[in-house]
Amino acid sequence: MIEAVRQWTERVLGRGEAAISVPVLDGALKSNRLIEDADVVAELDAPEDLASDGASLFVADGTRVMRVDGVGAPAVDQTFGATVSALACLPRGGIAVALGGREVRVVGGPHDGRRFESAGGHRLHSVNALAAGGGDVLWATDGSQTNPPDRWKHDVMELGRSGRVVQLDLADGSARERAAGLAYAFGVGAVGDDAAWVCESWRHRVVQVGGAQSGQAVLDGLPGYPSRMAPAAAGGWWLTCFTLRTQLVEFVLREPAFRKRMLKEIDPRYWIAPALTSGNTYLEPMQGAHLKTMGVVKPWAPPRSYGLVIRLDERGLIRYSLHSRFDGKNHGIVAAVERDGWLYLLSKGRRRLLRVSIAAAEASLAPS
Amino acid sequence: MNAAAPILALRKATKKYSGVPAIEDVDFELLPGEVHAIVGENGAGKSTLTKVMAGVVNLTSGEMLVEGRVVSAETPTAARELGIAMVFQETSLVPTMTVAQNLYLGQERFFNRLRGIYIAAQQFMQSLQFDVDPTAVVSRLGAAQKQMVEIARAVLHKAKVIIFDEPTASLTPEEKKYFFDLIANLKQRGVSVIFISHALEEALQVSDRITILRDGKHVVTDETRRFDRARVVQAMVGRDLSQTLYGQRKTKVRPQGRRVLSVQNLRMAAMVKNNSLSVFAGQITGVFGLVGSGRTETFKVVAGVAKRDFMHGGEVLLNGQPVRYFVPASAVRDGIVYVTEERKLEGFFETQSIAGNIYLGLLAKLRGKRKLVSKTEAASVGEHWIKRLNIRAISKNVKAIELSGGNQQKVVIAKSLVQEPELIIFDEPTRGVDVGAISEIHQLINRLADEGKAVVVISSYLPEVMSLSDRILVQRMGKVVEEFSALDATEEKIMYAAIH
Repeated sequence: MIEAVRQWTERVLGRGEAAISVPVLDGALKSNRLIEDADVVAELDAPEDLASDGASLFVADGTRVMRVDGVGAPAVDQTFGATVSALACLPRGGIAVALGGREVRVVGGPHDGRRFESAGGHRLHSVNALAAGGGDVLWATDGSQTNPPDRWKHDVMELGRSGRVVQLDLADGSARERAAGLAYAFGVGAVGDDAAWVCESWRHRVVQVGGAQSGQAVLDGLPGYPSRMAPAAAGGWWLTCFTLRTQLVEFVLREPAFRKRMLKEIDPRYWIAPALTSGNTYLEPMQGAHLKTMGVVKPWAPPRSYGLVIRLDERGLIRYSLHSRFDGKNHGIVAAVERDGWLYLLSKGRRRLLRVSIAAAEASLAPS
Repeated sequence: MNAAAPILALRKATKKYSGVPAIEDVDFELLPGEVHAIVGENGAGKSTLTKVMAGVVNLTSGEMLVEGRVVSAETPTAARELGIAMVFQETSLVPTMTVAQNLYLGQERFFNRLRGIYIAAQQFMQSLQFDVDPTAVVSRLGAAQKQMVEIARAVLHKAKVIIFDEPTASLTPEEKKYFFDLIANLKQRGVSVIFISHALEEALQVSDRITILRDGKHVVTDETRRFDRARVVQAMVGRDLSQTLYGQRKTKVRPQGRRVLSVQNLRMAAMVKNNSLSVFAGQITGVFGLVGSGRTETFKVVAGVAKRDFMHGGEVLLNGQPVRYFVPASAVRDGIVYVTEERKLEGFFETQSIAGNIYLGLLAKLRGKRKLVSKTEAASVGEHWIKRLNIRAISKNVKAIELSGGNQQKVVIAKSLVQEPELIIFDEPTRGVDVGAISEIHQLINRLADEGKAVVVISSYLPEVMSLSDRILVQRMGKVVEEFSALDATEEKIMYAAIH
């Protein structure tokens, strides 16, 4: 009862949960064009994830895993019977893939053929990121227990809270659930022997699972929806945000009646929801905005998609960031991997593999 | 010009407070139609010298001459009758009256037609190119607008000598230009102007002659063209500070720490409109904007000094947690302090001692945990901070009002730092402060950031923002419109963002 009164008061006064405010892109998150100006390595059909073993780059593209050696073009390395929804290189050789979100399979290396279909008494449902930990441990994020990976948009609009993190032991084939009830677990990175940082996309944060700080937010109040992460060669992490939060989406998320009706009656392509790409048709919803030029206010509609990769240090502090802004196209960055001084990025929105020179990016962000 | 007889002169002027000389054997001459700048560190005796001329204080020894006649201006009224008006650093306006009523205060007739006063005031303000509504109540005006009203009142009284004490401290660059035009206008009309300013460039720009005081004594008077900045500073402080003050451009900035403050879509009446910004630990975040851009108001909301809109006022997050303060004490207990731009009105208790003021700051932090007020503790806390911030006073028991501007500012800062804040907001930290104290305050601000505190510096003075800040936020019309790293910021870029 008290909670209901509080919620009603907040809705009337526009406070708390109903404040509909979004963190600003400032400080180390100040926007630039580094992703938009990145080199295009390859155009892909249905890119999903990236991984690197230090020598080669692996790209999950539909049901295939492509391999990029040196600066060559991608070549098919493996083909599976289901869409590859996550990918990781294993330290002792071989790769791990998630197929359709429902199965994790090891290909090559000492654990070739190992499969996982459930963990903690529940079937895997939406595995969307994998990361090798210490020893023979493989961490996986199972985004949602109700929606498969390709229905992530449904999960955010349904305010999904069924994500979990599972720890898979490649040596003995055991699997255990390490955290559950997450607001879409999407992206994981191992820190230490028995802990990992996990992205909780719909809560816009990175939390630690395991270790002394388990359950605590490493990074909170992000302006976007965090997704996969990968270690940086100089220490720290590369964290992708597949799009930014907007006040319009935040507003709709707080309007249950409107949202339910939208989900029921409107084609998901035209929902007021986060998007990996936008501006493709006039049927898309728009968020009103305006520019003031020469004293004249001009209305315009910013797109709903964005490209963002954040460089974190070992403590989770933001050092700098790479962007494809609203006026760009390389949006929906879902994976980033570092190799030989280059940062490879997967623009799922534009279906492109991109690369940025890390040294050049850092030089451009630190003017003399 | 030099051949003309002085309109105002002081001979061997000495003024002592409790036996301590504020000015000693000072000779001063003001020529007709000249703009005469008086510069010196805080405590050098500038304000005392000008207050003697304006009849606010009386000489202990020496004499004052107006147009060659020895006079005795024992009260401001007597000085005004002699044609000497003073525009004070801190406004002397009646806050509950309108601009027009303040302008014509003391000139009321038996029957007053308010509409007539408003029309006359409007025309007069327009003639000075001051954009101030004559019907506005003074308490609702910003510092710059109050200053404009002060200036307008002095001009209206047709003074032969107008003394300006820090007239441009709170003015925007555009307003300063109008002000300098006004000085030129006064000069053409044969009015003599005495101009006290800590902004040396302004003194060098607008004055015909400069007098420099140090420690209450006259150091030099010369034509402005014979001075440059280095010579002025050298004469003022007896040491060369020109390189340590605003001279050096930043070559390195501190890296960004964790986000301490996040302001999201903040609204406050017409002053703050959907403002969003972040402040990080271990950095100095400079905030620049023209008067009326909502800088002060934004941070007053953060510190609980002002309130955001009751409905849909946006969010303020401290260390990721939403906060809403109704009184500053709550913010202080959470580690936020706001060092006010209006130090005399909001910064300290005038009649309290230095130690008493600082101790009050501590009590605000500890409220509820302390049953008794300890004079011994107050004395030791006072002594500690007097030493730490190098507050120059005869003793810790000296009343705050008796200190110079720079030392008063240090008391205000000490009163805030004693609360061990995590986020410190400095609003115009060196306004009305001499160069020596500016340097010390800047060092202190840098030290706080080096210690990992989140520091915000709101300043209207671009060189200060650029020399102190690691990142610079520019506000315009109620919200942050641009952010610069101190490494790629230029005065032109910042000003462009602030105006366009």
